Amino acid sequence: MRIVVYRAVILALILACWQGASLVFGAHWIPAPAAVMRAFWLQAASGELWYHARYTLAAAVIGFLIGGLPGALLPFLIRRLATLRAILDPYLIAGYGAPKVALTPLFILWFGIGLESKVALVASVVFFLVFFITLAGLDSVDQKLIAAARVFGAGPGLIAREIVWPSAIPYVLTGLRVAAPYAIGTAVVGELISSNRGLGYSIQAAATNFEPAKLFVGVVALALIVLVLNAVLDLLEKRLLSWRPTGGIAERAQTSF
Amino acid sequence: MTPGKGGPVLEVRDLARCFGGRDGRDDALAVIEGLSLAVAEGEFVTVAGPSGSGKSTLLNMIAQIDRPSEGTIHLRGETILAPGKADLNPGWNCQIGYVTQEDNLLPWRRLLDNILLPLRAQRRLDADARTRVAALIETAGLTGFERYYPHELSGGMRKRASLVRTLAYDPPVILMDEPFGALDAQTRTELHADLLRLWSLKRKTIVFVTHDITEAIALGDRVLVLSRAPARVVDEYRVDLPRPRDVDHLIAEPAFARLYESIRQSLARQAPKARRA
Repeated sequence: MRIVVYRAVILALILACWQGASLVFGAHWIPAPAAVMRAFWLQAASGELWYHARYTLAAAVIGFLIGGLPGALLPFLIRRLATLRAILDPYLIAGYGAPKVALTPLFILWFGIGLESKVALVASVVFFLVFFITLAGLDSVDQKLIAAARVFGAGPGLIAREIVWPSAIPYVLTGLRVAAPYAIGTAVVGELISSNRGLGYSIQAAATNFEPAKLFVGVVALALIVLVLNAVLDLLEKRLLSWRPTGGIAERAQTSF
Repeated sequence: MTPGKGGPVLEVRDLARCFGGRDGRDDALAVIEGLSLAVAEGEFVTVAGPSGSGKSTLLNMIAQIDRPSEGTIHLRGETILAPGKADLNPGWNCQIGYVTQEDNLLPWRRLLDNILLPLRAQRRLDADARTRVAALIETAGLTGFERYYPHELSGGMRKRASLVRTLAYDPPVILMDEPFGALDAQTRTELHADLLRLWSLKRKTIVFVTHDITEAIALGDRVLVLSRAPARVVDEYRVDLPRPRDVDHLIAEPAFARLYESIRQSLARQAPKARRA
């Protein structure tokens, strides 16, 4: 309960600062919260917001799945192939480190300015994030549990099912959780560079037409999307990790008060 | 070593284990060297030794999760481990159980599922096994906690669960590595009583490692004292205290006190040289 109150206080503070900045610098540069909310409502009512948002969401979700699934599964396949891991290591590191946004022009060249190029961009970002976090999770499996299980007769299949997979789940979920906002952000960047639809396009168009309120609507919409996405992943985590002593950050914070 | 009635079930001959010293370096650290012991059928042997004397290493090698540098290990006369031998076979086909210092319960499995896991792994989980496990859980005082996750249980209960998990699949030989080390004195005493009660139901062959002299005497038929590293067996004491033993009142007996003093002195001789001078 306390947490909700503090959250409300912080929201009020942000809105107050925003309003103050709008007054100081002028509504042309920083539109007031009320003006943005009005624009938000207008755009939402006309269906324009959803028209753009669902395009961005589609790019993010499809790219998230195309990149995330192999990112989560591949570590399980190469976990015990030390040589293959050693061979692939520099390529994976390079792939992880290379700025994928720089590949946007190439993706546009290959896949056009439609959804496909954004999907490819998102997938390339999500894959490496999920891959490395999952791999780190598999490396951190408690070897003592495995040794104990081998002593009482557990084979590789049982060890994978009963020990490796359950210990890796929190990491896979963390990987997906970290990757989710990146998926949205990357889709938007793709749209900013070249697109004719999506929230990134809408933001870009608003800036070109000097409609700051509309621009802010796009940003607020993106923030809300990320919040909803996070809540969904929270639910998923609670279900999969029901055995854990503590739940989310909020619960832990509450017990420490 | 003088195994009691019958031939030895478990025999360790001239075991040695060095750590480090790879890549042609000459700084290999011998933790165990020339260690031999034999354990008879149904015997409860406790192994006492100074800390760092390779007690866990010894059990790890018997359980085959570690390989000796030299020496051999035999189970009922069969050589089950030698330095040149191919792959390790942890637990030797479920013939050797191992209760480690940490309970090693799976945090994501409920108590009963943890206890049943070895039986499931060995495809021996039938109605009979379930009945047997229920009886063991009852004896260990864990009835009513079957559906709890390990983190919801006390340290003592987790230890009991870890013990029951090994007893449930009935390996003829059980190794125990200071299983009650991290518990408070009261809980330890309770668990000693529990362990002796469980053991009296079905006389397993047990090798129990500890640094606690009281524990070594209270539980064992025989106490082996290890030297400091490189470890070998330096002394051996037969514990002629009658069974069943009441661990709580054992300490008051004169025989206990005499044995305690002998073992204490034996261990004191293993203290670092500087402190003996």
